[in-house]
Amino acid sequence: MWLDEDKPILKRDLVLEKPFLNTSGALGFTPHPAAGPIFDFLGAFITNPISRNPRQPAANRIYLPFPGGFMLHTGHPNPGITRAVKRYQRRWAGAALPVIIHVLVESPSMLAEMVRKLEGLENILALELGLPPDCDPGLLSVIMAAGVGELPVIPCLNPGQIPIFLDTLKELKPITVHLVEPRGSMPAPDGGLVTGRLYGPAIFPVMLQAAQTLVNAGLQVIANGGVIARWQVDAFLKAGVIGIGLACAFWQVEQAQLLRVLNNSN
Amino acid sequence: MTSLRANLIEIIQLGSEIGGVLDLPVDHWPEPGQYLACQRLSSFSEILPVSLFAMPGSLDQLTLGPIPADWLPSDQLAYSPPQGHGFSLPISARRVGLVPLQVSPARLLPLADTALAQGAAVALFYASSLSSSMLSWVPSSVEILPVSTLLENPDWPDYLAFDVERATLEQVIDLVDLRTFQCSGDVLVRTPMPCRGLGKCGVCAVHTTRGWKYVCMDGPVFPITEVWHVAR
Repeated sequence: MWLDEDKPILKRDLVLEKPFLNTSGALGFTPHPAAGPIFDFLGAFITNPISRNPRQPAANRIYLPFPGGFMLHTGHPNPGITRAVKRYQRRWAGAALPVIIHVLVESPSMLAEMVRKLEGLENILALELGLPPDCDPGLLSVIMAAGVGELPVIPCLNPGQIPIFLDTLKELKPITVHLVEPRGSMPAPDGGLVTGRLYGPAIFPVMLQAAQTLVNAGLQVIANGGVIARWQVDAFLKAGVIGIGLACAFWQVEQAQLLRVLNNSN
Repeated sequence: MTSLRANLIEIIQLGSEIGGVLDLPVDHWPEPGQYLACQRLSSFSEILPVSLFAMPGSLDQLTLGPIPADWLPSDQLAYSPPQGHGFSLPISARRVGLVPLQVSPARLLPLADTALAQGAAVALFYASSLSSSMLSWVPSSVEILPVSTLLENPDWPDYLAFDVERATLEQVIDLVDLRTFQCSGDVLVRTPMPCRGLGKCGVCAVHTTRGWKYVCMDGPVFPITEVWHVAR
């Protein structure tokens, strides 16, 4: 069979040798030795979100704890795609595990530009897409088309977006979807309201239900979910997810607890 | 990251905060301004470790804080070795000013011990009255003066140590015009540090003359010239 030079070569498989990954935002832009031996247990490393242009920290950046979790609003500071590739590509190439690059999608054309910059880099397993806040099913389809290239593309969605995107995802059949943390609001110290991403075990029931919905729809799912204990891992795997994203588990001081989650040991 | 074990021996009220005496080996004691991530074992209510700083206490014991209100003596803790950059008190400093701006002086007072040990005169410039539980931990040779005294005598200090909340940096720099001072100094920037550098989450980011820096990794103490005028 002759190869059609007009059609891009698509990688259609996403294989994780181990079911654990880090949530985007949990471990920085490259695997770092300071994180300890945890990379031995991960199937892939997901970078912090990277946008086309550099982004500064949000003026109202904040960490707000609540019972069972915490909220983060950061503005996704990053050096922008060009500088990120220049700064990190060697460490991505030399990492002991495959890398998934999380890109912030602002428009389909910007995504296409970013995809071109990332194709050809060594040791990149896939791209995962942080969708724009105003994304609708039509735009999702255009974005997924714009992301087509050599690398598999994984759309990220939070539980609140499932009713909006489920039918579209069933049609598009992405290689995998990544169920990420929900968004919420908390009262800010200045009396206003601040919105951000929610982390911690309090979100687990919502995430487990959402993961089950996606799996039942026939989708392959990586799920985040406030996992800090092995029983949560077992519940996600029983629901049929192929990967579990960990966030605050990595930020614990007590490493033995994290290793119990990763190692299936008591 | 290495995790180590410690016991909480005693708790101490330090003004509005609570300090805890921990039985850490001396080589794990943080310098003034450094922090140490600590977590109570078998706690289901604490999602992330807390960042503890050296606090005033007995010289032969380590007091860290602020500890959570529900920690009790005999609690077992896990901790990581000290992180970050502490205060750089010059050995030659002879007139040291401690300036907590709209925060407790607890994190600056350990620096007073260091300064007194090298023969410096130390003054604590504090805007309001100190509570009795805090006052009892201020060395008797440390003068407690209003901030206005510092502003009226900019030639007195040869080193200044500030403690400031990151969120109020822009407000507090209006209180102290550093252009009138000729001395060196450092500022401890207070902010949540949920990932302690592991994730570069950006919550603790502070703008400096060298660009955006992370308080958790590049601080918590910064040379004052890097932070002060940039925050304006």
